[in-house]
Order: sequence, then C-alpha cells, then structure tokens
Amino acid sequence: MTLTRQTKRRYQKAVTFIALGFFLIISLFPFYWMVSTSFKNSQEIYQIVQSLYPKKFVLDHYRYAVSNSMFPIYMRNSILVALVTTAISIFVSAFAAYSIVRIRFRGKAVVSRGIIFSYLIPPALLFIPLFRVVTMLGLYDSLLSLIVTYLTFATPFSTWMLIGYFRTVPKEIEEAAMIDGCSRVGALFRILFPLSLPGIAAVSLFVFTRCWNEFLYAMVFITDERNKTIPIGLQGLLLDDMYLWGELMAMSVLASIPPILIYIFGQKWVVGGFVAGGVKA
Amino acid sequence: MDLKSAQIESTTPAVNPMAKQENRLAFFFLLPTLIILFGLVSYPSILAIIYSFSRKLVGGEASFVGLANYIELFKNSIFQKTVWNSVVYTFGSVTVKLFLGLGMALVLNQSFKFRNVFRGLLFLPWAIPSLTACLTWKLMYDANAGVFNYILFKIGLIKDFIYWLSDADIALYSVMALVIWKGTPFHGIMLLAGLQSIPDELYEAAEVDGASVFHKFLHITLPSLKDVIIIVYLLSSIWTFHSFQFVYVLTGGGPSHSTQIFPVLSYELGIANMRLGMGAAVSIISVPFIFILIILLTRKLIREE
Repeated sequence: MTLTRQTKRRYQKAVTFIALGFFLIISLFPFYWMVSTSFKNSQEIYQIVQSLYPKKFVLDHYRYAVSNSMFPIYMRNSILVALVTTAISIFVSAFAAYSIVRIRFRGKAVVSRGIIFSYLIPPALLFIPLFRVVTMLGLYDSLLSLIVTYLTFATPFSTWMLIGYFRTVPKEIEEAAMIDGCSRVGALFRILFPLSLPGIAAVSLFVFTRCWNEFLYAMVFITDERNKTIPIGLQGLLLDDMYLWGELMAMSVLASIPPILIYIFGQKWVVGGFVAGGVKA
Repeated sequence: MDLKSAQIESTTPAVNPMAKQENRLAFFFLLPTLIILFGLVSYPSILAIIYSFSRKLVGGEASFVGLANYIELFKNSIFQKTVWNSVVYTFGSVTVKLFLGLGMALVLNQSFKFRNVFRGLLFLPWAIPSLTACLTWKLMYDANAGVFNYILFKIGLIKDFIYWLSDADIALYSVMALVIWKGTPFHGIMLLAGLQSIPDELYEAAEVDGASVFHKFLHITLPSLKDVIIIVYLLSSIWTFHSFQFVYVLTGGGPSHSTQIFPVLSYELGIANMRLGMGAAVSIISVPFIFILIILLTRKLIREE
C-alpha cells in the first residue's frame, strides 16, 4: 500500500506536532512550576492536594527575597565574580587566540592541544588541590578565589572559541595595516577585535553564564554568608527540615533572569557560537 | 588548528630572520594564559596525584603512604557502589540525552510556523542555572508536597506516594531524569546544527530512487551525523560523569549511598571529612577513564578545525 505524497506529508506533520507537543510539555512544565510556586501562598505549596495554579496570588516570597534575606548580597557577589572573570578571560584569551591564529611560532601545536586539554579537565578533579592553592595564596573565603579559579575554565574556553572566530577574519586587512606602519598590537585592537565583535560578544555571554551557574568551587572556597554567590547561597537555605519553598522558588526565578535574558537576546549568537566552536558546518 | 599546517608553519621560521621576534611576541601574548594553565591547572593536577599517595588532613602536613588510600578505597563497599552508580548515571543519562536530543533535532529541522520560537522554548532548560533546576525538581519530587506524586495519584497511576529521592532503589533514576531534562537541549542544539549542514540534494536524490523514510534516515542522516554524535557523546560523558550539583542538592549521595557518584564522594571525603588524600585518590582513580575520553575528544576537535 503506497501512500500518496499528500497523505505522507500529513502523516509527517502530525508526528512532528505530537513530538513537538511532548517536548514542549516536558521542557516547560518545571518552569511553570517554579514560577507558579513563587507566587503561591505557603499553604497551597505544602498541602498534599496541589494547586495546579496559584489560587491566591502573593508577592510575599519576592518581598522576602529582596528585603529580608541575603539574596541581594548573593546576587551582588555573583554579578561581580561573573563580570570580572569574563572581562579578564576575554582580555587574556584574545591575546592567546591572536598568537595561535596570526603568529608563527615554535610549539604552537603543543600549546593549542594544551589549551583544549585544560578546558576538558573537569573542576571536579581540580577542586581538592585548588583548595590548597587558594589557601596558599591567602584567598580562601574571598570572591577573588572564585575569580582566579574560574579563570581555569573560562580562559581555555574563550581562547578556543576566539580562535574559531578570529579565523573567519581575513588576515589581509591586518597585513595591509601593518604595511602602513601599524603595530601588531594595534592591528589586534583596531582591526581584528572590531571585526570579530559578534564572536567576542557570544563568548562573553557564554563565560558569564558559566560563571553565574558555577557551584562546586564556590562551595569549597567560600564559607562566609556575605561572600556567597547565588547557587551556594540558595543551597545553604536547604539546611533545616522545613524548606521555605515559596521563598526558594522566588529566589530561583530571580536568579534565572539574567541567564535567560542573555539566552533570549544572545540566541542567534549563542547557537552560532556552538556551531563555530563545536561543529564545523 | 590543523596539525599539519601548524607543523609546517613551525619549521619554516628556520629560514625566516623574523622567527625569533615572532617566537618572543607569541610568548608574551601567551604568557597570562600559560601562567593560568601551569599555575592553576598543571600544578594542581600534580598536587592531586601527590595527595592521593599521602595521608593529608586539612591544615596538616602530608605524609607519604604509598598506595594505602587506593587500597582502602578498593576494599570499601561504598566506593564499589560509587563506581557502579557513576557508570549507570553517566552512560544511562548520556545515551538517553542523545536519543531525545536527536528526536528534538529532527522535529526542529522540519519547517513550520514559529519554529524559532519553539526552538527557543525547547532549549530553555539548558539556559537556567543548574541550581534553580535542582531546587525546582527537588520540590516536584517531594513525597508529600510534590506535584509529580499528586498528578500520578490524580490520574490513578499510583496508589501510594512514591519516595522519589528517599527510596534507595529509584533515587538514582530520579536524579538521572533531572540530568536528562537539563542536558538534552545541548544534544539537541548540536545535532540540529549537524542536521542542518546535510545538503538537501542527498535526500532528493534518494527520494528519486524511491527510498523510504527509514532508509533515508539510516543511510544519509545517521552517517552524516557520525562526527557530531561522537563529539557530543564524549563531551557529555565527561561533563555528566563529573557533575556535582544534581546529586549533591537532590540527595547528597544518599539514601544509603545509592546515588553516590565520584565527584560527590571526593567532596565528602576530601572536604567534608577533611581527608584531602582520600578525596584526591577518588578523583585520580577516575582519571584513566576520563583521560581516554579527553584525548579522543581533543584529537577529534583538533582534526575538525
């Protein structure tokens, strides 16, 4: 029995839509739950008969998060660490990527390999010795410890991605400028940088998000409440028997806003970034 | 990063008088990166190995004990459980993520209205911080106040509430569900990019020859995706194996170590129990396995460039 083209296409469309619906429900339900719980009155949250939507809309949890808790401090710390780490890693890796893409030097293959290799070494392997290094440097329990240790994954990552982006810029432009007397550093800042701005923006967003979400190093190197970043700050609130779910969900929603905004506005860059760095189209 | 051209480029400077200057310039440009890599990656890695052969408590001196830590670990039933858990946790999650990601990619590769909006929505789990995902799922999994139990009960699938995170038999799978939910979009994005780079002509030619949907999938789609699949699988395996937050926040490694995995055990021994030597040993044991993945992946990624 051969189906006509039209029937085949209709069948295909139906399967696609069912699959799409399935994926949508699964992907989005936890978000819905997080947001709706954050607006639910505490009674509705803890009762066994769950309300599938907030029967009473309350802003108490958000008020608590913003004025009665350490959350604003956690947020300040997260922003600080993420911004500084991103700035440093972009700066450092721009020079490294430039060397690999534009300069001929001995040992380039070793360095390239070493950079990718370092990126792949997981924090879960390094955190114990880094604990010792951080203590040796006298950075324990300071935001600086996070900035320094985050550079271990931020720098190789941004170098690797910037190499991909720098490669797409034809070197003839810089060469022409250098013939006209421009220095190498000048060519880097005045020609290569501006031309690869979308790539640099994409990498910055990636690195920022990665720092924003980081958990393990923050757990190991920070103990004082006032130095905690959002992930470990929130996790620290799970200590008692009765969790303040409404408050936790409100803080979770607030904590998710920056990465989601980055994701929405950077979407074309972010997806393009994955393609450039990971899969050669 | 083509290995061949890099080698060629590095041999010609012998004839080039500017070579020395170039080498020095490259060195300065690379200096900060090299300092970071040597001081914060290479040196700690060596330190980890040394610690694994030592008895070192936090704040104390390290004393060499040879293989004592390793022997203690291998004889320990909790460690043995951890190994098994990590294998199931990693390969189970990554394999499911790959299948679901492929499904997601195939769906998003079709053209329909508002496709980009749907794509954005489907990839959202990847965008939120892992911690917020962990908290939300911890709430949904709650035995009494959790919505999963409520819905399953309401539609009549279960009679008693399920102890998703406190039942030793299913806790690991509960955590894996979250890992899969969070990680599938990454597979989806990569596979979608791979799918979109397959030229339409291949499919059209096959259709002219009367190929069925399955045939096209098996003989065109899958072979074209081979490289992407390998890279994604390796990357995802490394990351999933070493993921700390999910288990730590949802179950802390319990109940009865049924969700204990390498990174969490390493943390518990090294930091919580302050036995840095033992914690390091746990990490180092996982290295040979991870090393193979990392080397395969580095080679694949360099060849791709």
